[in-house]
Parts: sequence; structure tokens; C-alpha cells
Amino acid sequence: MELETKTHTPVKQKNKRNWRKMAIHLFPIPALVIYVTFIIYPLFAAFSYSLFDWQGIRRGAFIGIENFIALFTREPFNSMFWNAFENNIVYFLLEMVVQNGIAFMLAYIIYKKIRFAEFFKAAYFLPRLLSVIIVGFLWKLILNPNFGALNVLLEKVGLGSWAKAWLGDPDTALIAIILVNSWFGLGFAVLIFLAGLQGIPHDLIEAARLDGANGFKLIWKIILPLMIPSITIMTVLTFIHAFEAFELIYAMQGSMGEPYYSTDTLAVYFYRLAFGSGGANSAAIGLGSALAVVLFMIIATISALFLFVLRRREVQL
Amino acid sequence: MKRMLSLFLGVLMVLSMALAGCSSSGNDTEDNGEGNGEVLTIGSWRTEDKAAYDKIIEAFNEEHPDIKVEFKPSKNTEYDTILNTALQSGEGPDIIQLRPYAPGMELAKAGYLEPLDDLDGIDVFTEETRSAATSEDGKVYGVPLSLNSAQMFYNKKMFKDHGLEEPETWDEFIELNEKLKEEGVTPIALGTKEGWLLSLAHSIFGPAHYGANEFVDQITSGDKTFKDAEFVSSLQAMDELKQYFPKNYEGLGMEDIRTLFFTGEAAMFPLGSWEIEVLREMNPDLEIGFFPMPSAEGKDPTMTTWVDGSYGINANSKNKEDAKKFLEFMTTEKFAKLFSDELARIPAVPGVTTDDELVTAIAEATNEYSTSYMMLVHFNKGNPTTKATLETELQGMYLGKQTPEEVAEKLQGNAETYFEPFQ
Repeated sequence: MELETKTHTPVKQKNKRNWRKMAIHLFPIPALVIYVTFIIYPLFAAFSYSLFDWQGIRRGAFIGIENFIALFTREPFNSMFWNAFENNIVYFLLEMVVQNGIAFMLAYIIYKKIRFAEFFKAAYFLPRLLSVIIVGFLWKLILNPNFGALNVLLEKVGLGSWAKAWLGDPDTALIAIILVNSWFGLGFAVLIFLAGLQGIPHDLIEAARLDGANGFKLIWKIILPLMIPSITIMTVLTFIHAFEAFELIYAMQGSMGEPYYSTDTLAVYFYRLAFGSGGANSAAIGLGSALAVVLFMIIATISALFLFVLRRREVQL
Repeated sequence: MKRMLSLFLGVLMVLSMALAGCSSSGNDTEDNGEGNGEVLTIGSWRTEDKAAYDKIIEAFNEEHPDIKVEFKPSKNTEYDTILNTALQSGEGPDIIQLRPYAPGMELAKAGYLEPLDDLDGIDVFTEETRSAATSEDGKVYGVPLSLNSAQMFYNKKMFKDHGLEEPETWDEFIELNEKLKEEGVTPIALGTKEGWLLSLAHSIFGPAHYGANEFVDQITSGDKTFKDAEFVSSLQAMDELKQYFPKNYEGLGMEDIRTLFFTGEAAMFPLGSWEIEVLREMNPDLEIGFFPMPSAEGKDPTMTTWVDGSYGINANSKNKEDAKKFLEFMTTEKFAKLFSDELARIPAVPGVTTDDELVTAIAEATNEYSTSYMMLVHFNKGNPTTKATLETELQGMYLGKQTPEEVAEKLQGNAETYFEPFQ
């Protein structure tokens, strides 16, 4: 068909049509300009910054990969890096289990068409509408050791001995923050999983039922495999989010990852290194940029790996 | 086709204009810092002091009616970045408020500041005060503005109710803590969640054990180190005091301990003079007293005192002569009186009394018993700084992860990376 019309089109008109087709490709340019200026350029700028020696905010001599070497061999940068890296991993694993685990269960319950499903959907999503700073402030009040609601509640129900300084004890501070973050992110995960569940054709589930699959077996053999795309998305997003964890920690524990670096993450460490923190250290832009590059590489490689592995497990309908 | 092309070009033009607009408005904000013509500009991080400075400038104009002065502060947390960017491009305000000690003197080392050794009136300040704006080359680059002091505040009413008096010796101080604890009152409102509170508390309790100024002289000349018994004993004292802190102290931050103090749940509050304003605002009925920390070594009691900011002149300023006149005014008692009356702060010019009884009493005590905030004055360098190292390592000590001796060792290790007398 197309071939036929083309042969009948006069040359001039044809050119015009080609131009139209070309012109469409020009429309992304404004977005592209913004993307290049604010994402691509800073990425390369950070990389080039990491290769120089910096005195305060003044750029000194080109020193190659010396900043990277310092980051991994010199104390205290070295031990701070691995400490923060470990915390990031804990952050990711615990969020996967707590946030995404609970979100999946909630999504399944809503999917089973309980009453007020719409209400629950909105209720779970509500925390997400709050600013992270407000969430941090609220939970700081709740977790306050002497005035906070949680410890008061524990005392009222006779569990006073459980009450402790949740955010001041290095054994509980990181976990407390991850749980707050899970509470915050729960609604989003519920929505993603719910969309995945609703995307599964009903006849497939009915067919499975007829074949005798029930309850757990139905979830394990039919629903989960068909939900791999949503699980992939949530895993990658959770991973990226866990490795960029900054705002909530900054709001609740400050830029030193207090207490005693127990809530330090790579992003908080980066902030402290690159911008200096309230006089705790002078800004080390070179080292900070080196850390940013390392952080970018970690996130990019592992996200790609996740996508690669999980995509292969997707079931095509 | 032409229409498409012109549309595309149009979009490009709008876009480039928008970008150009952005960059030129960016320049405008930088220009704010530059003196243009006759107006003398003052850069500062104290946006909250604008009204007071208007009065100060008015008083200056009584003597120099032909010099127009403008106070142009920027937000505290952004001040350093804005100033550094402006200075690098040869701009910036004529008069620059300088961070005290090493961070402010970085600007002098980079050549952005005018030396002020021959400024009239610079001699009114004590040498210790001037050291906040003296660079490594021995020249003075700033006129000190105000003093901060850190001391033990106490609730006068609670002391009366429990029949307590200001302690004269360290033992009396401990007895008083014991008594308060026995009677069910939290003696000292201090938490360890925020590190900076710990280095500040150490600046109050520490000198009583390491022997104040004498030890500071010895360690800065390299005769003593952080590992010496004197300093370790100051860390041990910090460790022993934890029995008098509020319960769950490891989870308490600034707001929490301040609340404990002004609500009368805790009797004492080791903090800086800047808290007076806040405490009065929170609880106007609170009767605040203070006492210099009594020595455990039988020496004089100590008031931890340091300079909080000074004013220097931009080496690239076109109005250096006018700027000098303003700085000369800042060394006068007239200025100091105005400054402390308006802002309830201790002026750096000595011997000035204010209308505020508590501030005057503190100012007098700092004149008599002054010792420096050693970590801030001498060891606020390195990456992380020795001061920050003290903060996190003390946190570790309070969490039971290490002993005072180990804290001392880490401090020494950190300071050795840059402190020449240790190398």
C-alpha cells in the first residue's frame, strides 16, 4: 500500500513529508538539552573533578586516580567507606524483606476484593504524600527516648524494660530508620504490586484453580512468576533507593551518620565529604567526586545485573 | 519545511534566551556582594541581626555622614559558598565577616584579605582575642566582633530548693551532683546523640582536668600530646560524669536537653552563652545562673571563651579607606556597647558593661577566668577535623565501644596528620 502511494506522490510533496518525519525527532530537543545540562554534564564534571587535587573549592593540579586510591587506602576514608557500604546493603535487604514483603501481602489482600479496598489503597499511600523532612521529624518525635510516643506506650502496657533510645543506640538506630522508610515507601510498592496482580488474566487463575492449585501453591506457581516484571521494577527501584539513602538519615540523624557512624550511608558520607559538614571537615571536593563516581558505578552495574537476571525469569504469555 | 525549520529555530532561540536569562540573573546575585561606587558593603552570615546593624550604621554615620554603608548578610549555611565564589572572581563585599580561627584565616592565606596591623584601635583587644584573626604569617586580618563563652548554667530556683550553692572545687561539684541524683533530679542536662554537644561539653569539663591554659601552651608547642595523662584524665572525667546525665542520654539531642533544663527537670546545663536568649524565650520565668567550672587540680576555675567571628577587609575592595574607617569604629566602646545592648552578646572589646545583668556577669567572668576552646581554636583542622574526631570518638566511648585511652589515641593519630609540632 505504502509503496503504491509513494510512487504517485510528486517529489516536492514527498520531500515535505520526509521533513515532517524528521521534524518529529526535533521535539525531544528541549528535554534533551535539560537532561544533558543537568544530568549528563554533571556526571562527567564529577568524573573530571575526581581527577584533580582541590584546596577548598579551588581546583589544583591534575593528580590522576590519587583521590580514588586515598578513598580506599587511607584511614579514616577507607573504613568509613566500607562501614557505609555495609549499611547500604543492610538497608537494601531489610527494605526488600519488610517493605516489599508486607507490600506484596497487602496488595494480595486488596486484590482479593476485600471491602473498602479503595480506602486501604489510599491509606497505605498516604505517608508517601508527606515530605521526607516531615516524616523524619514526626518519627523523631515518636522515637524520642524520654518524651516519645513509642516508649510511653511500651511503659503503659508494662513493657517499660523494652523502652530505649532507639535512635541513640547504634544497634537499633539504622533498623529504626529503615523501618520508618519502609512505612513511608509501603504505599508505592503496594500500588506497583497491585497493578501487577491486576494485569494477570483471570482465566489463567481460574484454569489453575480447576487444576487444583490453591492458596500458597497458586501464589507460588502462578501469580509470582507472572508478576516478575513488577518484582523486577520494585527490586531495582528499592536497590537504587537504598544506595541513594540520604534524606531521612539527614533529617533524623544529621550528616555525621550519628551515633558513631552507625547510620552512615554512602550518600551521607558523600555529602559530608564533598560539602563539609558544619565544620566537621573542610569540603574535599576531589574525594567527594571520587566517591560519587564509585557510587554511580555501583548503582549502575548492580541495577543492570538485576535487570538482566530478572528479565530472563519473566514468563511470556 | 520552512515552517518547521523556523519553528525549530524559534524554539532554540527561546531556549537560549531562557538560558541566558538564567545565567545573567545568576550574575546579579553575585554582584550583590560587590561595592559599587561609594556604597560600602558588609558581608555577614547573621541575617537575624539586620535591624541591629541598621542602628550601628546610623551611629557610624553620625561621625562619617558621607560614607554610605550597607549590611548585606546571606544565610548562615550558604555564606561560605557565596563568599568563596565571589572572592574567586575578584568580587565580594568590602567588609567581610570572617569565621573564627583556622577556617577564616584560610581566606588570608589565599590572599583575599588586607592586613590590619596598623589599624587604629586594633590594640584594644587582648592578644588572645586577636589570635582568632591572626594568620600563620603573624599579621592580623580582622577586627574581632564578639566572644562566645561556654559554661555551666544552673537553675537558681532548683539550687535553692535543694539547698545547694555554686561549687568552689571539683569535689563539691561531684557532691552536688550526687545530692541532686539522690533527691530524684537529673543533675546535668546533656545528651550524646549530637556530636557537637560533646566537644562543647569537653571544652567546659576538660580544662578542669588537663590544667587549662598551661596545658594548651604545652600541647600547641608539641611538649605534650593527647596521650599524656592530663588529657586522658579529662576524657575519663567526661566518662564518669555520665552517671549524672538524664536517662537514655545516648538518644538525646539539643532540643531534648534544652527542654529538660527550661522545664526544671534537670538542674544544670553545660552550654554556650548564645543559649541565654533561647532559654528566656522558652521560659521567661526561668532564673538562669552560671558558674565557672572549678578545677580538679587546685587551679583557678575556668570560663571557656573564644571569639565568634571578626571583620576583615577585602583585598580587592575599591573602598579600602572607607572600610578601614568603619573597622576603626568597630574597635570603639561606643560600638561595643551598642552591639551588646542590641544583641545581648558579649562584645570582643573588653570592659564594656551592658544593661543585661547575666550577660555582664558572664563577660566579667570571662575576663577573669578565660581559657580557650582548645579543640575549636587549635585543632579544628584535618579531614575529618580533630574536633569532629573527638565528637564521634566520645560518642563511641559513651556507647561503651571504647575506653578514654583509645579516644586519646585516635585524637593523637588524627592530629599527627597535619599538626607540625607532632610530626
